Amino acid sequence: MDGLTSWFEYLSERWDLVFTALGETLIYVVTVTLAAGLLAVVVGVATRHHMFAKELALAIASVFLTIPSLALFTIFIPLVGLGFVPSFIALFLYAILPILRNTTAGLDAVDPSVLESARGMGLTPRQTLLQVQLPLAWPVMLAGIRVSALLTVGISAIATLVAGGGLGDFIKSGLARLPLPNSLEAIWTGVILSVLLALAIDGALLILGRLTTPAGIRGKGKPA
Amino acid sequence: MTSLAMAAKPSRRSRLTTWGSEQLDLIVTPILGVALAILLATVWFYSDFDATTERILEPSQLARQAYQQLYLAFFSTILVIVVAVPVGILVTREHAPRIKDGMVTVLGLGQAIPAYGLIVLFFVWLGAGAFTVIVALATFALLPVLRNTIVGLEQVDRSVIEAGKGMGMTGWQRLKGVELPLAVPVIVAGIRTAVVINVGMASLAFLIGGGGLGETINAGLKLNRPSAIFVGAALVALIALSFDFVGGLAQRHLRPKGV
Repeated sequence: MDGLTSWFEYLSERWDLVFTALGETLIYVVTVTLAAGLLAVVVGVATRHHMFAKELALAIASVFLTIPSLALFTIFIPLVGLGFVPSFIALFLYAILPILRNTTAGLDAVDPSVLESARGMGLTPRQTLLQVQLPLAWPVMLAGIRVSALLTVGISAIATLVAGGGLGDFIKSGLARLPLPNSLEAIWTGVILSVLLALAIDGALLILGRLTTPAGIRGKGKPA
Repeated sequence: MTSLAMAAKPSRRSRLTTWGSEQLDLIVTPILGVALAILLATVWFYSDFDATTERILEPSQLARQAYQQLYLAFFSTILVIVVAVPVGILVTREHAPRIKDGMVTVLGLGQAIPAYGLIVLFFVWLGAGAFTVIVALATFALLPVLRNTIVGLEQVDRSVIEAGKGMGMTGWQRLKGVELPLAVPVIVAGIRTAVVINVGMASLAFLIGGGGLGETINAGLKLNRPSAIFVGAALVALIALSFDFVGGLAQRHLRPKGV
């Protein structure tokens, strides 16, 4: 209990720092998820009829997830320097696979008979994609976006090691000052706020899913 | 780290595509690895390192760090397997209390804990050194092995288990002779993920005095030597890629015949 009170005290003395760090992490999550989502959806849609291209894209995206985070965050430093950019690139490369995999899986799962009826009703391929396939695949795609967003929250703590800011700042400064007063509180701040941010993002995406899932398939598209 | 996230439900179709992507994985990973190795060799042999960089990249030191990295990854993986596989087996037994779904959910949320923070917290708790790193890595890599053990045992066809019962097999015989062999491919996939996580996260061991190639990356960062950073990062990436590749091969060859 003592720990908890001293932690709240620690927080209440530096809300400005807390909100800056939270904001920096949130910016990573939003920009990375948007950029990776855009790329993944474009690639997923473009390769939906080409088995080989699709598998190749998935294999390349999964190789990035194999590369350790500290390595991927630092390997671009000789090219782009320190700060936001190397962190963004690393997080972006990590975030592609979950969305890409779920986009292709979602598009694949659309019942062929539904596509037949769309064609029978005179829809062009573009109309079929935009009005039938993507809406039906959306719940699965959203599940992938969720995985990518949570992944980004967790891994972005490393950004502090390449001067990229975010909640990792608290962990780094706490570790550097250990065992001085407030060092443990700083570490817990970084860890707990990461988990809380992940929960908040999870909830926000859940609501987004409710609001954007077509009425006819609501409840069917269990998050995969 | 193919099974890090969860894809859509395995339909017949997606099982076919998974097979295709496994084949491609075994081609794409070595291509990227070789390209990275060539880049690394080029930087190593053709760039002018200053005295500081030379000292950071002392070959005997790199070898020591690489050895530490492998050592940490090896023992944390052993620890994960020893803990996660038996627990996974226990909670999927017929009469086990129904805790497995809740367990997987809680552990899934645990993934949002940054590995960086986790290592530092374990350091506060257990002090500096290799042991702390091994426990922290094992905790972080627990989820994929546990989840895959549970999923692998659950997906065994009920009728096959019933057939085992009908043949008079005991629970232990069914587990050993039927369920585990059928679950092995899924469990091995989880272990492969854990190995790759452990090899990678071992590069954070330098934070708490556990050694590893993170030391080289950190020295490069602190002393502002981009080429040293690159060499350290490329070595870590190469080690992880090779382990993933070997894991992929193992996954193919450990598949029981007939599955």
